[in-house]
Amino acid sequence: MRTAGITLISVALTCAVIGNAYYQKKQFYPSVVYITKSNPSMAVIYVQGLILVFIMNTFLRKIFFGNLRAAELEHLVERAWYAVTETCLAFTVFRDDFSPKFIALFTLLLFLKSFHWLAEDRVDFMERSPVITWLFHVRVLSLLTLLFTINGTMIEYAYMSTLTKGASVQLVFGFEYAILLTVVLNITIKYVLHTVDLQSENPWDNKAVFLLYTELIIGLLKVILYVAFVTIMVRIYTLPLFAFRPMYYTMRNFKKAFHDVVMSRRAIRNMNTLYPDATPEELAAADNVCIICREEMFTASKKLPCNHIFHTACLRSWFQRQQTCPTCRLNILRPTPANNGPRAQNQAPAPGQQAPQAAQAQGVNQQVDQPFQMPAGFWMGLQAQQGAGAQIQGQNNAPNIGLPPFQSVPPGSLPLFVPPFPPMVHLPPVPAPPPNLTTLTDEELRAMEGNMRQAVEARIQTLQRVQLLLDAANAMMSQYQTAAATANIPGPNVGSAAEAAEKEKKEEKANHSEDAGPSMSEQGKFAGEPLPGSSGVSNESIVQTDTKTMNATTSNENHATPSTSRTRTEPTDEKEMLRRRRLQKFIAQTTTTTD
Amino acid sequence: MAGSALRRLMAEYKQLTLNPPEGIIAGPINEENFFEWEALITGPEGTCFEGGVFPAKLIFPPDYPLSPPKMQFTCEMFHPNIYADGRVCISILHAPGDDPMGYESSAERWSPVQSVEKILLSVVSMLAEPNDESGANVDAAKMWREDRLEFERIAQKLVKKTLGIPI
Repeated sequence: MRTAGITLISVALTCAVIGNAYYQKKQFYPSVVYITKSNPSMAVIYVQGLILVFIMNTFLRKIFFGNLRAAELEHLVERAWYAVTETCLAFTVFRDDFSPKFIALFTLLLFLKSFHWLAEDRVDFMERSPVITWLFHVRVLSLLTLLFTINGTMIEYAYMSTLTKGASVQLVFGFEYAILLTVVLNITIKYVLHTVDLQSENPWDNKAVFLLYTELIIGLLKVILYVAFVTIMVRIYTLPLFAFRPMYYTMRNFKKAFHDVVMSRRAIRNMNTLYPDATPEELAAADNVCIICREEMFTASKKLPCNHIFHTACLRSWFQRQQTCPTCRLNILRPTPANNGPRAQNQAPAPGQQAPQAAQAQGVNQQVDQPFQMPAGFWMGLQAQQGAGAQIQGQNNAPNIGLPPFQSVPPGSLPLFVPPFPPMVHLPPVPAPPPNLTTLTDEELRAMEGNMRQAVEARIQTLQRVQLLLDAANAMMSQYQTAAATANIPGPNVGSAAEAAEKEKKEEKANHSEDAGPSMSEQGKFAGEPLPGSSGVSNESIVQTDTKTMNATTSNENHATPSTSRTRTEPTDEKEMLRRRRLQKFIAQTTTTTD
Repeated sequence: MAGSALRRLMAEYKQLTLNPPEGIIAGPINEENFFEWEALITGPEGTCFEGGVFPAKLIFPPDYPLSPPKMQFTCEMFHPNIYADGRVCISILHAPGDDPMGYESSAERWSPVQSVEKILLSVVSMLAEPNDESGANVDAAKMWREDRLEFERIAQKLVKKTLGIPI
């Protein structure tokens, strides 16, 4: 309404001015001369020209954009004010060239800029708009072609002008249009990407990555242009104040784009190396909906250490911002054992099944002596012990269980028999290594081998645990010795605990073979006992479990020899000393290995 | 395929339409633009806001759900956690990282797991139990703490206003 009023007034004024001139001079040429000589008349004509350009602009905008959304209009007005201010600043630098033509060129530039902004907003909105009509495509395509042509022509004109007439205000125009050209390029790429995405039925995961790189490259181009422009301007004229604000924003955007690309790359790398793809079973077990996009997951999903499953693409875009699990906010870059351990163990896919074959070939004796030759087998063993503890009883073919279950010794390889070794300590969970070592690259292996502080700490902890287990085994062995001694076997003549155990075994087999089953299963229960806490190892817990086992053994013993319930003291000191020494030697060995 | 933000908003709209939570209505103002919603929230029962129907506007960012939406009541409100212009100040609407009040732990901040429904339910519980430690409206926070009766009187007045009942 107001615009219409202003237009009407302006038209009326122009008519009055022209009418007055014609009324006074009666002829065309003198009238024109009269108007150009008269300042008030010229002012009216200029205002009229401006209003005509404005109307033209509105008309074109209607053609190419239709009705503007509120957000677009707001955006436009905000940017227009900055642009006008900067144009006025530019005038101060080129005040010598000040002429109507100059103003006309700047006005044209302003309006062209506004079209670029609008086109940018429109194309950005494509992704968010539920319906894209053919009209939209026609409009955007024709507009982009038009803008591209105009920018190209203007750059060429500015270039030729600068070449022939030397540096002038055309320098600014050439540069401004070059910047606009990069904008058009950016819009075009985005438009193509969005269009391709809209045509396809499935979400296009890599689009975000393409957009990131486009942003980065265009940002770089713009930064180079701005720096070149400012350098040239400083050399020829003066400091181009009017270019500083856009230059600052461009650089900031470039920095952000760079940061985004770096973060995105890191997220992708983390996802490819650290997190396994979710298997169909896992997807079926969960409710199968990615909580980020609320869509079903069929493929390309990742499982985080905390067991939450998301689309790979969704996770990537989230990890660009934050390195936490969206659901539980577990920091995924540093999964502490306490966080990922219990779950990882519960979820460990068939623990032990992929342990290296080498572990199977080696005797238990070797394993105890050099348990660090096959860390994978060791981890698997720990997991298997909890997961498959109940199955241990009666199984002679589980040699891949790396640690204590001594009953798995192939007969003859070692004259040592000990009943199934219940988990004496509540092992703090250990990070699960990748299942198959042969698929790892050298870097990954190196990373797993680990020379960082964290890795070393973990290794030392593990060694301490092993030490505790050995202590416990030692204690149990002495119990057996005592038991063997009380079972009417010549104690001092027992060459080794192994022999005692062997004899015990024979005795058991001979006398109470039917008792062995139940007692084994009882101990199997211990083995399969769920771990209540995942806290650190304490000597107390060892003692407790040890006592339990002792009781179990004692009851077993009582079954075996009900008549001979004697005291179970007098451990052979000699043996004890020997054992201690051996243990210390072993510990020293392992610590040096760690170092 | 449309953008992920749009698809997620459509999914949420569908969900809200099929199983609307009690006392909450929400949906896009215009089906052409899914990034601006309006919501009607009824005042929780048993509080001074009981019976009121409060209109609010939700503006979603282009990268929703990675960034939180903004929520603003379009009616007059007097509440410790609502700015004078109607903007709602609750931790679930703040992206982790920026902490306007300096007291929120990151655990209660925005994450893609949150949804429009959860936001609106949090707002309902915020109406019921204002958090006077983070004063978006300091006057309201002070009154809530020191002069509960006056606060309730003002709230009742607002309730009547939203219902169009002359005071």
